[in-house]
Amino acid sequence: MNVQPTSMQQVKPTWSGVVRYLHATPRAFLPMKSFNELTLVAGRGIEGDRYMIGQEAGFYSHKPEEGRQVTLFEMETLEAIERDAKIKLLPHEHRRNVTVEGVPLNHLVGRRFWLGATLLEATRLSFPCRHIEEILEKPVFDPLIHRSGLNCKILVGGVVRVGDIVRPE
Amino acid sequence: MAKPIKTVQTVVTAVDEPARGVKRLVLADPDDWELPPFRPGAHIDLHLAKGLVRTYSLCNEPTDNRRYEIAVKCEADGRGGSRFVHEELRVGTALGVSLPRGGLKTHDQALNVFIAGGIGVTPFVSAIRDLREKGRTNYVLHWASSGHPVLPGMVADAFADGHVHLYNTAIEPRPSLAAILKQYGDEAGAFCCGPTSMLDAFDAATASWPAERKHVERFTPPAFARDDNAAPYTLVLAQSKKEIVVRPEIGLVGALEELEADVSVSCAGGICGSCRTRWLEGPPIHNDSVLSPMQRQHEVMVCVAGCAGPRLVLDI
Repeated sequence: MNVQPTSMQQVKPTWSGVVRYLHATPRAFLPMKSFNELTLVAGRGIEGDRYMIGQEAGFYSHKPEEGRQVTLFEMETLEAIERDAKIKLLPHEHRRNVTVEGVPLNHLVGRRFWLGATLLEATRLSFPCRHIEEILEKPVFDPLIHRSGLNCKILVGGVVRVGDIVRPE
Repeated sequence: MAKPIKTVQTVVTAVDEPARGVKRLVLADPDDWELPPFRPGAHIDLHLAKGLVRTYSLCNEPTDNRRYEIAVKCEADGRGGSRFVHEELRVGTALGVSLPRGGLKTHDQALNVFIAGGIGVTPFVSAIRDLREKGRTNYVLHWASSGHPVLPGMVADAFADGHVHLYNTAIEPRPSLAAILKQYGDEAGAFCCGPTSMLDAFDAATASWPAERKHVERFTPPAFARDDNAAPYTLVLAQSKKEIVVRPEIGLVGALEELEADVSVSCAGGICGSCRTRWLEGPPIHNDSVLSPMQRQHEVMVCVAGCAGPRLVLDI
């Protein structure tokens, strides 16, 4: 059978999501704290967070990476891990900064999108690490493989609030 | 490049000496941020100086989550850790500590029988504070000391309520743990922390007890990245001409850190590929999810690897 691809013209992304939770912490190992809003600084990171460039105090700060300025995680993954692995992982426990709903994070590597009034560019998928199992004492490493969130750099800074819309550029 | 952060960064915020030869220290985040959580009676490693790491039980209750409170008895003939704590730590000293580990799982309904020897009371101070905070009175502390108990003020409420039985082994025989435990029947849970002789006596007295009813408080090592049954081997760095014996308790990553090797470990779970390294002699035991069989003939993900032979030679 001669299978023809559909038109190769680029498909316009049609998703739209929302910011559900915002978290930050000033140093490695410390619990993440929930905020109603966070200030994102273009090219640097989140005010008060451990990976803010120039104030590095995170577990991975000795390995500089511009895409660690802000990290995102899907609400849908929390639901999937509870459904599939029977592990209750809470929004402050995955240690990413922004928990979003309705945003296909794994599709966004290399793309730009709006997080409220800020513009982000996704640099790579996040990896889970054993460090999080040590902190949480929950066996979440394997369930998080391939759905551990998204690393982004901040192109346009600003204040992001819970409830903000997330949308393609 | 900045050094990796391996410990929780704290600062000493209070020091006092509630009993002769015993110092109590409070550690907190430099900005008073909440600290990593812990169970009642959990313990932390204090990274006192290079190569000097000592483990102490937390005395405060888990809801007191901005402080780590420890009590340290100075052991003049010890290995130097407690002397360092007594002589070098003061208010304002910055101190790296491990994440809290272990801790006691107390019983909600059954009686909790705590048996302590001397300064071994510290995890039970935490547990008693936790129980009292929850409004529970289902506990009793049997506390043997040679002379006066060292920290009676830390469980003053328990004393006042008649939950503490003291034994002064300087003037009376050591208490019979079997006799103590026998009086509480078949439902009570028992916990012991103290010198080795006391732990051995406790083990003997509870030999026939089910595991869920007894707990001996021994300091436990970090939970992951180690295989205690692995055989030691020699790690050789071919280019930098360094070598070290890799013992199970430090593992390959720990050994590389000790040699200050230029290997970038990231996920620590064998999936991200960050620590991919060429090997020359081994063979390594591969536990990663990244390398193909062909790649494994020359490369290894060191974050999860072991060694099947006496020597692992890496091309770094």
